[in-house]
Amino acid sequence: MNKNKKIYYFLPVLSLLVFLIIWTILANKDGSMLPTPLATLTRFFEIMQKPISKSTLPLHIWASLKRVLIAFSIAVISGISLGIGLGWNKKFNAFAGPIFEILRPIPPIAWIPLVILWFGIGETSKIVIVFIGAFIPIVLNTFSGIRAIDPLLINAGKVLGANKRQLLTDIALPTTIPAILAGIKTALSSGWMCVVAAEMIVAKQGVGFLIVRGQESGDTALIVVCMLAIGIVSAILSTILTKMEGVLCPWKFSKTK
Amino acid sequence: MVKNKNNKIILILLSILGLCIFFGVWELSIRFGFLSDRTMCTPSTVIKTFILKLTETKPDGATITVHFLSSIKLSLAGFLMAVAIGVPLGLFMGYYKALDSLLMPVFEIVRPIPPIAWIPIIILTLGIGFEAKLFIVFISAFVPCVVNSYLGIRLTNQTLINVARTFGASEWQIFSKVCVPSSMNMVFAGIRISLGNAWSTLVAAEMLASTKGLGYMIQMGRTLIRPDIIVVGMVTIGLTGALMAMLLGLCEKKVAPWRYK
Repeated sequence: MNKNKKIYYFLPVLSLLVFLIIWTILANKDGSMLPTPLATLTRFFEIMQKPISKSTLPLHIWASLKRVLIAFSIAVISGISLGIGLGWNKKFNAFAGPIFEILRPIPPIAWIPLVILWFGIGETSKIVIVFIGAFIPIVLNTFSGIRAIDPLLINAGKVLGANKRQLLTDIALPTTIPAILAGIKTALSSGWMCVVAAEMIVAKQGVGFLIVRGQESGDTALIVVCMLAIGIVSAILSTILTKMEGVLCPWKFSKTK
Repeated sequence: MVKNKNNKIILILLSILGLCIFFGVWELSIRFGFLSDRTMCTPSTVIKTFILKLTETKPDGATITVHFLSSIKLSLAGFLMAVAIGVPLGLFMGYYKALDSLLMPVFEIVRPIPPIAWIPIIILTLGIGFEAKLFIVFISAFVPCVVNSYLGIRLTNQTLINVARTFGASEWQIFSKVCVPSSMNMVFAGIRISLGNAWSTLVAAEMLASTKGLGYMIQMGRTLIRPDIIVVGMVTIGLTGALMAMLLGLCEKKVAPWRYK
């Protein structure tokens, strides 16, 4: 047993080593465009000090993050409200549901050309695209969360004399929090992906811009640095939200463990 | 009973009213010039353009059917490859610990990178042809397949495994008869995410580097300031996505009917 455990500590190290070796071999092949891991690392330190288009890597990341955070906050507030409205009020659902259903399957990225025509290539258009990307999962999850409430809870509330508002704020909303948080998690990663996509199409700043700059100048090391940076930011964002989930609805975690 | 029926009619009427207002406001705000027709087109123009695009190759070089077929072929090919490789890989990684600790670290590095961020490096190494786009679609669909299949196996009820072991099932039998069927819920959820990812990533790839496909078409619509072409493209993309999700739902019912009991 003890010997087995040691193997499981050793295997991840081995796998990362093999990964790096394969990467190096691929990069060193004749005519390969891939940068070696070492070249990537050097490029990383270089971009930390030497700015491209007036910003170093952290500033580009911050530019993208700012767009995401603004759009994301708007999407959280409006998305949860719309989701509750659709889930809670049958008439409102009948009225607005079909419109939402028409717009829902269009991927946020497909909005980019139209949004650029509407708002130009400035900051607003990027925020709108991220907003669309984040808004839809939040509405969907809030809606299905409200719909999935156990009718027993609602009936119990009614029997005990709760009015409509109390049923919503004291029973429906707390029960829906895990679903809403799951939606928020999807929304944040989708928003982050949308900002990268929007910046890749038009931008003067941001990680998406940086990665395209790498492509245009054939600077593959810069591209890989950006890819890793984008991945790391996205991992950090989702870790933060998972932590928040534990704080906001601890019962969900105690149940699974 | 009568009240119930009345309620239903009211709800249906409200739905129709909602859609009418949506399309009415859209159409009229452009007709009366609240919105410039350079930035948006009326719903009626959208329908006209759509019918025209069925036969007309201008201004983006191909009819909508050609764009559509090119996109759907690519996304389905990438998606099916990802399911065929990703699901078994995820299942085995979930069951065999050695495979898990061998592959997981590498997978964890690759996983959080959005598929779109792969596009530049793939364009530089593989060009902008069929393989390049296939690879991008594959990555986007591969990750959710692996993650969900892995979780599906991991979430198998330990009691079920213990029961099977008590009755003398071999490791392979436990894996194939207990863990795999019980993971099907998660696997299908993953496949569903994969399909959506494959489709929207392909659109992104076509927007960035392509000479045909629906993504290319809407991008051209933007360059030429033809909002009607953009909207036709968006509607086609949306409809196709919804249709594929529906077909997948039907498959799901065939393969895992117990989910719908």
